Amino acid sequence: MLLNELKVGDQANIIRIADDVFRTKLLEMGIMPGTLVTLVLKAPFNGPIAFSYENTMLSIRKEDANNIFVEKMMNHA
Amino acid sequence: MKIALFGNPNTGKSSIFNLLTGLRQKIGNFPGVTVEKKSGVVSVNGEAHELIDVPGVYSIYPSNKEEKVVYELLLSSPINEKPDLGIVVADASNLSRGLFLFSQLIDCGLPLVLVINMNDIAEKKGISIDMNALKGTFSNTPIILMNARVGLGKDRLLSALSLQIDQLKTEHRKVSNMLKSLSDLSGQEEEARQRHKQIGEIMKESVRTAEKSPRSHTLDRWLTHPVFGYLIFAAILFVIFQFVFSFASYPMDAIETGFEWLTKGIKGTLSDGPLSALICDGIIPGISGVLVFIPQIAILFFFIALLEDSGYLARAVFLMDRLVRPFGLNGRSVVPLLSSMACAIPGVMATRGIPNYKERIITIFVAPLMSCSARIPVFTLLIGLVIPKMKLLGFIQLQGLVLLGLYVLGIVSALFIAWIMHLLLKQEKRSYYLMEIPEFKRPLWRNIFLTVFEKIKVFTTEAGGIILAISIVLWALASYGPSEQRSAAIQSLKKTIEYKTNDKVEREGLVNAVLLENSYIGILGKGIEPIIKPIGYDWKIGIALITSFAAREVFVGSLSTIYANGGTGSELRLSERLKNQKNPDGTLVFSLRTGISLMVFYVYAMQCLSTLAIVKRETNSWKWPMLQLVSFGFLAYLGGWICFSLF
Repeated sequence: MLLNELKVGDQANIIRIADDVFRTKLLEMGIMPGTLVTLVLKAPFNGPIAFSYENTMLSIRKEDANNIFVEKMMNHA
Repeated sequence: MKIALFGNPNTGKSSIFNLLTGLRQKIGNFPGVTVEKKSGVVSVNGEAHELIDVPGVYSIYPSNKEEKVVYELLLSSPINEKPDLGIVVADASNLSRGLFLFSQLIDCGLPLVLVINMNDIAEKKGISIDMNALKGTFSNTPIILMNARVGLGKDRLLSALSLQIDQLKTEHRKVSNMLKSLSDLSGQEEEARQRHKQIGEIMKESVRTAEKSPRSHTLDRWLTHPVFGYLIFAAILFVIFQFVFSFASYPMDAIETGFEWLTKGIKGTLSDGPLSALICDGIIPGISGVLVFIPQIAILFFFIALLEDSGYLARAVFLMDRLVRPFGLNGRSVVPLLSSMACAIPGVMATRGIPNYKERIITIFVAPLMSCSARIPVFTLLIGLVIPKMKLLGFIQLQGLVLLGLYVLGIVSALFIAWIMHLLLKQEKRSYYLMEIPEFKRPLWRNIFLTVFEKIKVFTTEAGGIILAISIVLWALASYGPSEQRSAAIQSLKKTIEYKTNDKVEREGLVNAVLLENSYIGILGKGIEPIIKPIGYDWKIGIALITSFAAREVFVGSLSTIYANGGTGSELRLSERLKNQKNPDGTLVFSLRTGISLMVFYVYAMQCLSTLAIVKRETNSWKWPMLQLVSFGFLAYLGGWICFSLF
């Protein structure tokens, strides 16, 4: 599923990032396949989303979030 | 020696910069680009070295114009720009990200000092860093712990710097270039992957993380709530505007009174003549006209810095981004544009935070259309003149409604022009909105004070000169004219019954009116009458339009002079006098259609020298201010013409 399809509070592992430049950009920030992320905020009116990873909260626009494929963690209630 | 300060965004880099340099800071631009270059002096063992604050990045490979500065500083910049030594600031809570940039810089062969900042916060999160293990891994580089917000670790940093500087003096290390070419994306990606692998190993050895409870986001949910989020943002803005409008006027009045007092003092000691006139009526009011902006700049930047430093601004940007994006603006454009409703100067200066060049230019370009406080005297005078005092539906003041309409017209036009520019301007590269939302922090007064100080300094030193020069030229054009024409006009004035029957104050007013009419600006005003006639203005209004190019509110003072409202005429009296002015054909000068045409003219016209000067400073070229002057002038004329024809 896509990062953007997660609900607030959901945890997920990143599987793949589609856009080349965006993937490199995120990689430099330490976000890559295998990184555990938590969706924290969604801005109103389909605005940006914010997710946390390690000790950081990062916001990106929705269309960029649609380039990030994730696998939702099922084990937490 | 040149020392560069590197680091990820939000690592407390600017706190360290402020701690090391204090007030000894200089703001400029990196060569050839409009990216701000902050440099300062740091003393190490009594020797002065230059410290350059480099834009905060995650990697030396850039994703926008601002970040490219870092790459060029290391690679292709002129040799005298290349740093001899670097400080890398890493956030203790995000050490792996800091180490990523650090390891890139090591591979460039640059001698470094690694600062691990905000260790106290990391410890609270259960993160402990084994400094000995880390030092063992990077044995060539001094590594120190700092807590720059409370000033801890400054001595450690200085002695680490001195160690590296001493070493550099004895052996010259050559900067090797391991940099990948900017177009080699897959090379960069592969390198980044390798680096993360190594850093992962290092992290395993030197960082322990205890089980921690996850960070709470309750406050964030409220601040970005679809209803409460906007309400809180509006409330914060309301408070800021209250402060700007209620407190800025006192120091502004004090500055103006102080300079008037100074003028009187100098007039008393200097004999009358061109020199005394130049100093007292040209230069001193010119300087006063620059300094009078300082209170608004100071108050607005105090609040903007407070919002930024506390972490709130990132939430507001997150909340607003979607609403302004269709207009080619960024969430970060919102605060600068709203600040422009107090004054466009701090608004334009606040666009520094917009990372994308195109979005920043659009924001700067449309900021002057937001109705600023200098338009208020113009609007209130004109509304009082031509809009009847009446209520609609029994409770809506028509005059207030018109004023609101003018504000709305400004905002709608700003958004419309932003949208046009968004379609016209080309994006050099696909841009990403990647914004870290920092944790809330108690604001640091030193950082806020230094921001305010820096903005005032930039305005007075870099825009002040242009403003002063042009306002002196305007003054000269308004005070001098062809002498024969002037004396002839005064002679014929003295023969009129009006002059003979009036008292001294009235006579003085009549003489001043004739002098302005026969000054170079007066001649110019008459000269443009054929152009402004179609939009409903006579030459007297033309003169006021030209003089108010210095600042919009001058329009009121100029009308007062040209209509001989006497030396100290109150605004009420001016309004009465203007109401009765008739054209040669017996119609009112300030008819409804002329009044509305003038109001719309002032919504658009780029009648503010100081804004033009600051736009030139912020964009590093005359292209954008000139484009504003011409295109907004055209819109003002067009709008005035439409209104004059319709009503």
